[in-house]
Amino acid sequence: MSTTAAPLPDILPPRVRRGRIGGFVRRHPTIVAGGVLIALMAVIAVAAPVLTQYDPTAIAPSQRIRDPSATHWFGTDMLGRDIYARTIYGARISLLVGFSVALLASAAGTLIGVVSGFVRVLDGIIMRVMDGMMSVPPILLAIALMALTRASVQNVIIAISVTEFPRVARLVRGVVLSLREQPYVEAALAAGTRLPIIIWRHIIPNTLAAVMVQATFICASAMITEAILSFIGAGTPPTVPSWGNIMAEGRALWQIKPFIVFFPAVFLSVTVLAVNLLGDGLRDALDPRLAKRL
Amino acid sequence: MRRRDFLRSTAATALAASGGLAAPHVARGAESRVLRFIPQANLANLDPIWTTLYVVRNASVLFWDTLYGVDSTLTPRPQMCEGHEVSPDGLTWTFRLRPGLRWHDNQPVLARDCAASLERWMVRDNMGQMVKARLAEIAPVDDRSFRMRLTKPFPKLLYALGKVGTPCAFMMPERLARTDPFKQVSEYVGSGPFRFRRDEWVPGAQAVFERFDGYAPRQERPDWLAGGKAVNFDRVEWRIIPDAATAAAALQNGEVDWWETANADLAPVLRGNEDVRVDIADPLGNIGDLRMNHLYPPFNDQRVRLAALIATNQPEYMQAVAGNDPALWQASASFFTPGTALYTEYGGENLKRHDLAAARRLVEEAGHKGTKVVMIIGTDVPIVKAQGDVTADMLNKIGLNVDYVATDWGTVGARRAQKKPPAEGGWNIFHTWHAGVDCVNPGAQPAYYTTGDKAWFGWPKSDVVQSKIDAWFDAPTLEAEKAAVRELNKASMDFVTFVPTGFFKGYQAWRGALSGVVKAPFPVVWGVEKKA
Amino acid sequence: MLGYVTRRVAATIPVMLFVAFFVFSLLYLAPGDPAAIIAGDQASPADIARIRASLGLDRPFLVRFGDWLWHVLHGDLGASIFTNLPVSQMIGQRVEPTLSLMLLTTLIAVLVAVPLGVLAAWRQGSLIDRAVMVLAVLGFSVPVFVVGYLLAYLFALKLGWLPVQGFTPISRGLWPFLRTLILPSVALGLIYIALIARITRAAMLEVLSQDYVRTARAKGVGARDVLFVHALKNAAVPIATVIGNGVALLIGGAVVTETVFAIPGLGRLTVDAILRRDYPVIQGVVLLFSVAYVLVNLLVDLLYTVFDPRIRY
Repeated sequence: MSTTAAPLPDILPPRVRRGRIGGFVRRHPTIVAGGVLIALMAVIAVAAPVLTQYDPTAIAPSQRIRDPSATHWFGTDMLGRDIYARTIYGARISLLVGFSVALLASAAGTLIGVVSGFVRVLDGIIMRVMDGMMSVPPILLAIALMALTRASVQNVIIAISVTEFPRVARLVRGVVLSLREQPYVEAALAAGTRLPIIIWRHIIPNTLAAVMVQATFICASAMITEAILSFIGAGTPPTVPSWGNIMAEGRALWQIKPFIVFFPAVFLSVTVLAVNLLGDGLRDALDPRLAKRL
Repeated sequence: MRRRDFLRSTAATALAASGGLAAPHVARGAESRVLRFIPQANLANLDPIWTTLYVVRNASVLFWDTLYGVDSTLTPRPQMCEGHEVSPDGLTWTFRLRPGLRWHDNQPVLARDCAASLERWMVRDNMGQMVKARLAEIAPVDDRSFRMRLTKPFPKLLYALGKVGTPCAFMMPERLARTDPFKQVSEYVGSGPFRFRRDEWVPGAQAVFERFDGYAPRQERPDWLAGGKAVNFDRVEWRIIPDAATAAAALQNGEVDWWETANADLAPVLRGNEDVRVDIADPLGNIGDLRMNHLYPPFNDQRVRLAALIATNQPEYMQAVAGNDPALWQASASFFTPGTALYTEYGGENLKRHDLAAARRLVEEAGHKGTKVVMIIGTDVPIVKAQGDVTADMLNKIGLNVDYVATDWGTVGARRAQKKPPAEGGWNIFHTWHAGVDCVNPGAQPAYYTTGDKAWFGWPKSDVVQSKIDAWFDAPTLEAEKAAVRELNKASMDFVTFVPTGFFKGYQAWRGALSGVVKAPFPVVWGVEKKA
Repeated sequence: MLGYVTRRVAATIPVMLFVAFFVFSLLYLAPGDPAAIIAGDQASPADIARIRASLGLDRPFLVRFGDWLWHVLHGDLGASIFTNLPVSQMIGQRVEPTLSLMLLTTLIAVLVAVPLGVLAAWRQGSLIDRAVMVLAVLGFSVPVFVVGYLLAYLFALKLGWLPVQGFTPISRGLWPFLRTLILPSVALGLIYIALIARITRAAMLEVLSQDYVRTARAKGVGARDVLFVHALKNAAVPIATVIGNGVALLIGGAVVTETVFAIPGLGRLTVDAILRRDYPVIQGVVLLFSVAYVLVNLLVDLLYTVFDPRIRY
């Protein structure tokens, strides 16, 4: 349900002991836990063809709605497709959507935030537009955007990115405004350094940490939004095995065959959990104070 | 929002509250006088001429009345009419209304209301248009009779007036019937057994019908749209529950009495509940349709259409659509409804072959190996989506390259009307289905017509097929009708107007406290009773 | 203060205008056609075109937008294409369920999350702290419909304690009203609990490390008083902010929750309207949501002065 990448405060005590000895694991347990889980999902996604002999889209209506068994580990769905195959191939979609949205929304948000922070004339207009976009509930905006075009993974990515980037823009603008006042930036400006160079050398690197942390939360929220869009029927096309689609197709039967919804739900939850853990850990590691500004 | 509007709507909500959204509170044992019903879809409005959706028809049979009504043998019987006279040449029909008919505003039903209603209906209905084409005059004779003069006999007139297929010829007061048939009527004043509680209407959530005390049912036994529509409920509450799982749970919990479209896969669970009954809803069922665009490659080539027909595996489609329950579907090499008088599988051999190799050869021979096929699918309609999933798999196997455009039904509705090339916003394939009641003969089914530009979406053009349809219209006897339909089935199979993907039915489910639920193309409320 | 409120409200007008224009353009570009749905499956292309024309859908974009805006400025949101009912009436019918769901969800979330967050901060690093934080991440990671179906399966179907679906207005009694709302509110509340518990904990940690709290503790003020009187009051500002920002999150969640539990609320109204291309309804609801979002956040800003007298406008 996290559709907004809302500001997440610290998850673990910020005062994690930073012993001089002790490995990375001890210092950043959440980063490691999150990272390992994500890596695992990525391996599953990439190795999907090796992990199953079934084609995730091949239909066999005579084999429909079978319980989990030795031949079909997670059972089959309404069209007789193998749910295990669909679930592990589904990892590709979720990861693709999550990371693409994180990247796209961060890039767009950073660009607009920097412009807004430096070009005073545009600042007012840009921020009003961002306010307007944030005042429309993200799910509804995404549904409306999907109604604009045909269902495809690419369009899902674009629709979710549109709902996410204004928050990044706000964040970056805030950081830029405070950086502008820093003596070294003022000095560089006074010395006649060209603006793009200042932005590249001083501003971007200093916003990177905040954006990175925000990006992980966007990634997590994008995965859930994709599932919700597909659940409502406005997401990835049914030909694409995504976790949201599997759950949407199975939900009519959740009373009698709860496993159809259960397996993709567990995969989705674990993946989102992993990304959230990574985000929390990153924030603690990069700058615990940053969190307060989010 | 205007303050007054807001106040009014708040008042409406409060009224709805007192009426009962989930109400186990109706006083004095009146519970048995309230029917809580889950319809197939949301009730969009109550103008059945303007909106031809089945759900609007189903609400309309409670609210509006018809001159004639078919019974379960599809024979038209007088309903609002007392009777009629036909001149020996078959050109002049005089209809007489039965006495005591009243509109819900207590005004008497007059002959001129009915004449105006028929004129509005004729514009929108397929059979109505045929009547209109041979209509010289329609005019009231007195308050209770009106006359129709035709230029050419139309033996199927009573069937047209009493049919169940949409739009039915519902009667409205003249002032409403004068509304442009392409615009919605501004108020709802019917003469059926129930009034509509517009103040309790929450579109998307509930619609409430209240017994109309001024309704005088006929004396005959009720049978579908025919006979005495005597009702045993003071209120019929439609609860709109789009989610099948939630609807099933609500029925099991006794929160509702009757579910019009019970999900087939949930039927075993429902049957396991001793308080719930499950049975076929509409005995005439439905016929699935794989519709191709005859204007553009590859389906402008008869060989490719034939390839699709030969490759079709009806059991596969039907299992995807209707589930594993064999009671709910059958393969049927026909464009017509199994179990009805004119049904035939004559000429349908190719539809039984399911020969992928032969189909692939035909596609190659036509030079269309790897040709892109734009398939527009409304994924919000499960029957459409299930057929689309099977078709994508099938066409890819015979060497075509399916571009599965997943969208919603609203978009399909708009896009399928586009005659543009598929790559420029047009299409190659869409799926739908036809109610069996509309496929008992060629009269009311536009999907059969092959009149090219004027035909239904896909714009098939074949003089051969069309001549067989005309032959049916002129057929004087049942034997002649049967012969014409046999020929039509064969010609349509050879030409491949569209590919019928099989015949399927659906379940309805109701609480054991109800008795008298029958199988029909629409939920028949009259004759149903609820134990206290 | 009054001047501030006026300025803030005035500042939202261009935002609203932008939202209205943005949504109108989106719908204009969207390919669906309500006329095709109204006409039904068997209608001919010519019939559809005539219905389109009678609905005024064939007029140019700017004419339609101008027309709509003109009516909105006169307090008229128009009528639904399908039902012909005034949009204001359709919204009016749906406000109570959605508002009830959102208020109850917020109430449950605050009642559960704030004590949890305080407790976690108080016993920082303890097992309780860890448990609360694990719960918080989990709450963020499980989609609301999964939680909804799980709850409905357990409490409605297996145990039969609560109804699976529907909504009962509060005018029919508090218990019937609550009965239908408990499951949806808990389902929707989980993510909110996670959010608020985390922010509460973080804010409390910050406050607890302040000198005046240390002083209070040193002076022997009881633990409960320190936590809930001194510290929580000072941690209230960030908590209120999160609740305010969460409104958009809540509305989004309400869409899904209303679908799962068949609640006739604004969320379902919007999704149905989008799928049917009922333009006036979509416009009206989105405008309403934007206004609600802006107003709630204004309210939160004003609440700051209550919690923290140092803030002045």
